Amino acid sequence: MESPREATPVPPAADARVLLSSPTVLERCATGIEGLDNIVGGGIPRGNMVLVAGSVGTGKTTLCLEFLVRGAERGERSLFVSVTESSQKLIQNLSTFEFFRTDLIDQGSLVFVDLPVVYDRLGLGHEELTAEEIDIVIRTIRDLVRSLGIRRLVLDSLTSVCYRIRRDEQIRDFMLRLGQELSAVGCTSLLVSEIGPTPGRYSLHGVEEAIVDGVLLLWNTRRLGDIVRVLQVVKMRGTSHSRAQYVIELTPIGILMAPHLKGGRETGGQ
Amino acid sequence: MVEPERVLGIPEVDRPLWTALPPGWLAILAGHSGTGAPLLAKQFAHAGVGIVPVLFYTTYERTEVVQKAFRDFGWDPTDVKIVNLADEYYERVLIRGLDVARAREVGLTLDQIVAEPPVTNNLATFSLTNRMLSDLAAIDSPFRLVIDSIDFFFEALTPADVATVARQIRHRCQTVGGQALIAVHSTHRDRGTFGLQDLADLVFELTAEPNGGRYEHTLYLEKVANHPDLTHIWRAQTGEDGWHVEERSEPAG
Repeated sequence: MESPREATPVPPAADARVLLSSPTVLERCATGIEGLDNIVGGGIPRGNMVLVAGSVGTGKTTLCLEFLVRGAERGERSLFVSVTESSQKLIQNLSTFEFFRTDLIDQGSLVFVDLPVVYDRLGLGHEELTAEEIDIVIRTIRDLVRSLGIRRLVLDSLTSVCYRIRRDEQIRDFMLRLGQELSAVGCTSLLVSEIGPTPGRYSLHGVEEAIVDGVLLLWNTRRLGDIVRVLQVVKMRGTSHSRAQYVIELTPIGILMAPHLKGGRETGGQ
Repeated sequence: MVEPERVLGIPEVDRPLWTALPPGWLAILAGHSGTGAPLLAKQFAHAGVGIVPVLFYTTYERTEVVQKAFRDFGWDPTDVKIVNLADEYYERVLIRGLDVARAREVGLTLDQIVAEPPVTNNLATFSLTNRMLSDLAAIDSPFRLVIDSIDFFFEALTPADVATVARQIRHRCQTVGGQALIAVHSTHRDRGTFGLQDLADLVFELTAEPNGGRYEHTLYLEKVANHPDLTHIWRAQTGEDGWHVEERSEPAG
């Protein structure tokens, strides 16, 4: 459920006590994934940037796509920026999900952009991006978001972008600026982070999770002979949330979540 | 094999060289803008017409201009294969650079991003080196080749890559009995960063010095591989059929 925005004006003479006793109610951007929205108090705080971290096959892209589809259904124009896979192929794969509606693409509510094409148009085909070129990429995404009135954005994957930004401080700057630009127009974003099955890391460089407002961690684990996908909300600024683990299932109607029961033998990692 | 009198197409220059040169050789022609070196390059190309296939790579003149220059001096350009590298480079690289600059400056719209057909990254795929070397690889018999001028390569390639192109040309000349002339502006030649002169069997330089109300041209033959005795300096002037030389009456300054 999405809560209406109820910004509480701060009186000019407000003292600390007043501020403490008047919590601001954040507008929430419901992911449309019921179990996840329940965990994070109705949705991701509007305009926040969230890292969706996980190794291969954990459901990161599907979760992100459902987030966009549900948003588009609610009238929030949504943008998927694909870096590693052509959007054409993605759309083909999506067609196996009942929740996916091609009419959302036809009517322009759900927009797919291939970042390699953007790189090509901007002459950024070389291996490493300079500071100026990073700025061009940010401006291009910002302009697209503004001109199309995008309210939800997915970057799949942040890791692929960061491969071309070598220095940690440049990655930090890239994410800070991107986050500011998106937040300024109320665009909620999910950035996919590809990580190995090593516990304790949420990103390639380790700086990404410090910048973002939230971290959703997904991993595969063995349970009673099966491999199951598990999701955990590690961090969500502005939100009091559970850090319990949930088993997720990618069904035709969307992602279903259930508490991760501790019974049975469990192996594997993040 | 090219007839003995045809090196530059100037008998006084060519005659002593013929017996000194190996079957395949590479010549460098240096000359600042305004010295007439491009005309001498064309004369070199014309000297091979009717004897071997002639390739003329121009990097700054339009093909029509090259053809007109040939005709102006009574040389038929029909049998000279003119390859305009500047046009190819412009169409495949520079014009794309304009699009890129515009996209960077004013941004991209969604329509431009999803437009069909997608552009290809020509900046990465067009290699001047490969372009030249693929042509060379297809030649398996005596030929005559002109690059006018190699300066263009310096703008697009590293000095090491330029040297690679020159080495491959020289190797091809030696392998199949070809003769090549590479024109170079003196500014690049003076850098001495790529050793073109070391690779060349012949090094010519054409200069123009003001003398009274006109320019006086001088042709230097600065290097003849293994025959330093054949180096020479001539006074040069153009006539209706190209460059001519005569002995200097005084030492060159």
